Parts: sequence; structure tokens; C-alpha cells
Amino acid sequence: MARFPRSALTALVLCGGLLGPVASPARGEVCAVDDTDREVCLAAPARRIAALSPGATELVYAAGAGERVVAVVAYSDYPPEAREVASVGSHTRVDLERLVALRPELVIGWVTGNPAEQLERIEALGVPVFYIEPRSFEGVASAIERLARLAGTRVAGDAEAERFRQGMAALAERYAEAAPVPVFYQVWDEPLMTINDDHLIGQVLNLCGGVNVFGDLERLVPRLDEEAVLAADPEAILAGGMGEENRDWLTHWERYPELTAVDRDNLFFVPPSLIQRPTPRLLEGSRLFCEKLDRARERRGEQGS
Amino acid sequence: MIPMIRPLGALALAALAALALSVALGSVTLPPEEILAALGGRGEALSRTLILELRLPRSLAAFAVGGLLAVAGALMQVLLRNPLADPYVLGLSGGASVGALLAMLAGFGSVLVSGSAFVGALVSTLLVFGLAHGHGGWTPARLLLTGVVVAAGWGAVITLMLAVSPAQRLPGMLYWLMGDLSHAGTPWPLLALLLLVCLLVVPLGRSLNVLARGPLQAAALGVAVRRLEWTLYLAASLLTAAAVTGAGSIGFVGLVVPHMLRLVLGNDQRLILPACALAGGTLLLLADTLARTLIAPEQLPVGVITALLGVPTFLFLLYRGQ
Repeated sequence: MARFPRSALTALVLCGGLLGPVASPARGEVCAVDDTDREVCLAAPARRIAALSPGATELVYAAGAGERVVAVVAYSDYPPEAREVASVGSHTRVDLERLVALRPELVIGWVTGNPAEQLERIEALGVPVFYIEPRSFEGVASAIERLARLAGTRVAGDAEAERFRQGMAALAERYAEAAPVPVFYQVWDEPLMTINDDHLIGQVLNLCGGVNVFGDLERLVPRLDEEAVLAADPEAILAGGMGEENRDWLTHWERYPELTAVDRDNLFFVPPSLIQRPTPRLLEGSRLFCEKLDRARERRGEQGS
Repeated sequence: MIPMIRPLGALALAALAALALSVALGSVTLPPEEILAALGGRGEALSRTLILELRLPRSLAAFAVGGLLAVAGALMQVLLRNPLADPYVLGLSGGASVGALLAMLAGFGSVLVSGSAFVGALVSTLLVFGLAHGHGGWTPARLLLTGVVVAAGWGAVITLMLAVSPAQRLPGMLYWLMGDLSHAGTPWPLLALLLLVCLLVVPLGRSLNVLARGPLQAAALGVAVRRLEWTLYLAASLLTAAAVTGAGSIGFVGLVVPHMLRLVLGNDQRLILPACALAGGTLLLLADTLARTLIAPEQLPVGVITALLGVPTFLFLLYRGQ
């Protein structure tokens, strides 16, 4: 295969990035294993970080390295400071030119969200890519710790990871014996989509003592028809929506008064950004989830009396 | 030969101008002297990366893909004697898309996606070739029908795959289906193929001119019609497969560039085919430059721009023509 001629200096940078740490283990060297099980090593903690998904941006800020973020992608709206950072396009299509021009020392990629060929290209240009995609509560905590290690902000990062871990553990303990509540969680309306038990949101449901009525389905994000929901007859329906306050998806269900969830008014809105991103805000979202399910349990008593 | 030099020279100049524009423009603004220095291998490391690693390979790949598609389209139009023919009419892009989407679903990297697309394109080519051959004689009409039905089958498979794919993989798949040059790798094989094909088809030009008037006349004039038609089919398929592998299925270039050139230059294949290589390349080069700069840092799919540029130009030429 013909290759495009590289300038000598880029080649030098490339070799430096790959071989440098091996040849002479610098004192500031930091390493971490990413979510594709590759070890990423940097000669020194990264001072310029590009986060290629809104979730990655949140995690880097949570790791205490917010000031080192030099590039984000569209919809990176949390924490609010992230809105001020230069954007390099969307997570599905990154503007490589703009990204390279910002001279990142570390790129945080999203395993299934970013185009593989673009991440490969970034690595070929000599910028290390750390792939993340947390699929469990522990995955979120450890992602924060690993990012903190690469950014040299372990004190702040480890503390935040610990806060998250303990918060989730406290919820788990509190709801370990809670009465089960059959729940339908709506991810999207057209097509109607939910999640199964393997999904992070499904794990939150189980944590709060909810029973996902579609938890056994094969696919991570199954598509359904309304009939399936009517047949499953959940006791509570939880939904996000378009935007942080839009309850339209829930009012849609009110046309079916025979649904237990509608009958008992157990239609709950949960802001999607609190629950759909694998970040420390998931703790807040989980607390909200658990409160809603508690309310559903209280209404059982009201019905009986 | 003399009357051909002027239009081809003008098109070559336009292509060079488009190449210069495409290298000069990007979402990062570089001063002209910095660009020249980078092209000469000097200047800052960053601008050399931007120019030599990102912009120039992509621009050359855009030119090559556009040229391949336009030549393939022109060959298909001669072969099928149908003005609506384009490189994808016989289901080739469908086969390539199914291959690429399968590789994406399996989570493979870009090399395997391209390889799988190429295999899909070849499978589709052989399928149509074998089926159109069938029992009894074959005609371009039979080839066209076979191809169109195979294409419809691929279309259904693609829709099915999109419907069952995990949500986070959809954007990547849709971008591939819309055609996109950001994953075009090294441009040299595509450019070499384009050059080779131009050199090979020009000697065939006279036979093609005769064939365009009808197979009976061609046969009467001593052209081995059947063999020429299969050569055309395989050549056009190979070119399309290479283009689709490089950049996904970019529509419109292969259909409209040959027609545009015929309206302006007349229907001499010896002139039209090399002109297609130059004009198709130029159109896609300009479209890709716009696609990556118009709303930067967001990137548009290049197929949108080829149509938005090509449709008014074509309609104007058609309206003005006799």
C-alpha cells in the first residue's frame, strides 16, 4: 500500500508518543487501561484534553481536569463551563482539522459513539486516544479515577469517584429490601424505545427496587409497540422527553386509563440528562428514580384504603 | 486530436484551481505563505500535519472518487443505452453498503469496513452478471432489469439492518450511506486506477461511439458487441466498487457529470470519458471543500452538496440546450 509521505517531524512526534515512555521511563509517566482493555501511557499528565462526547466531557470535569479540556463536541452542556470550550463538531463526525489545531495531548473517545476510522486517524497523527464507555456504576467510578490518573488530578478525581461509589452503595443498601415495582422506562417515543436489564438505566431501575417489565428482552435498547406496553401493564411509567421539562410523552399514555400506571397517576418525568449519561450525575438521577418508585409504593396504600 | 486539447486543457486547469482551493480552505485558516511552506515540507509542524496529512490526501481522494464515478456513469450510460443509468443502477452500491454495514454492525475498524464494502460490491457485480447471463441470450434491457431488481433487494436488506441496529451505531451507518470522504484513506490507489482507466478506454473510444448508436450498427461495422459490452460492465463495476469503497455511496456525480459534458461537448466518447474524469473529480472536490467548511466545525455529507451544486447547473444546461 502506498502511504502518504509524512513530514519528518510528525514521524518524530509519532515515535516519541509510542516509544518514548518505553525507551526512557520518564518520572512523570502516567498509564491507565481504557474500556477497550488497551493501556494508554503518557510521558507526563495531559495538559490539553479533547473530549469527543458529552459524557466524556462530564467525566473529565468530574475527574477534576476541567481546566485542561481544550475541545468538546456538540451538546457538551454540562458542567456549564463546558459550553465555553471550543467545539470540534459532533460526536458522529469530528472536524479533525480543528481538533489537531487545538493540539490536544490526549483524546477521550467513545467506543461505539465516535466513528472508528476517525479515532484511528487521530492515533495515526500521534495523539493518544483513551476509549471510554462505562456500562456499570463501577465503570463510571473507575472511568473518573482513570481519567484523573492521566490528567494528574488524582486527589480530586479519586474523591469524586468515591463520593459517587458511596452514594450508589447507600441507595443500593436502602432499597435492597424494597417492595418490587413493575416499571416501564421510555427512552424515546417514535419509535417507542425502552432499555433492558443490562443497560445502565436498567441497572438503576433494579437498584431502586423496580422491575423492568421489558428487562428480559435481548436487545440493549429494544423498540416496542404500544400494545406491548399495554400487555405488560406496568405499575409506573418513567420517561425522559425532548428537553429537560417536556412531559408530552407521559400525557400520551393518559388515553389508556386501564393502565395501572395511569389509574394511579404513576407517570413520572425524569430529566434525561440525569439518567441517560454515564456520569456522576447518574447518582442524582438514581435518587430521583428511587423517589418516584417510593411514591408509586405509597399510592398502593391509598388504593387499598 | 487537436480539437480535444482545448476542452480537456480547460477542464484540467479547473481541476487544478479546485485542488488549490480545496487545500487552501479548511476549518482552520492558514495564511497562504504557511500553506506553501507546508507543501514544500517546511513550516510549522502543525500546518504540515493539517495540509499534508489531512487536507491534501482527502482532496486527492475526493478528486479520484469523483472522476471514477463520472467515468463509470458514462460507461454505464453507453452500455445500457439509457440516459437514467448511473454507476449504482445495477445494485453495486447496494451490495457495497450491505458489506460495509455488516462490518460496522460487527464493530470492525475502517480497513475491514472498506474491505467488506469492496467484497459486497464484487458479490453484487457477479450476482447480476450471472443472473443476467441466465438461459438464452442476454440484452442490455435484461441486464438493466436484473440489476434494478437486485438493487431493490439490497435496499430492503439495508433498511432491515438499519431497523435492527443499535441506536448509537446509526449515525455512522447513515453517514456511510450518504457518502462521506472523511474515511477515505490514502488516495494513491484510486488516482492510479483513474489514470489507468483513462489510458485504457480512450483506444476503445471509437468502438464505444459506434455502440452508442446501437448494437446492430456496431456489429455491422465489425465491433465484437457482446465482448465489448461485458468489458464495459466489468470495467464500470470495478471503478464503482473502488469509488464506493473509498467514500461510501456518493450519489449524483455519476449520473449528471456525463450528461452535462455531452450537452456541452457533444457525444464523442474519446473526449467525454477523459473529460468525465476531470469534471467529475472537480465537482466532487468543490463539493467536499464546501461540505467540510460551510458550517465548520460541523461536517455535512458531501452527497448533499454534489446535488445542490449539480442540479441547478444541469437544469440550466438542459434548458439552454437544443
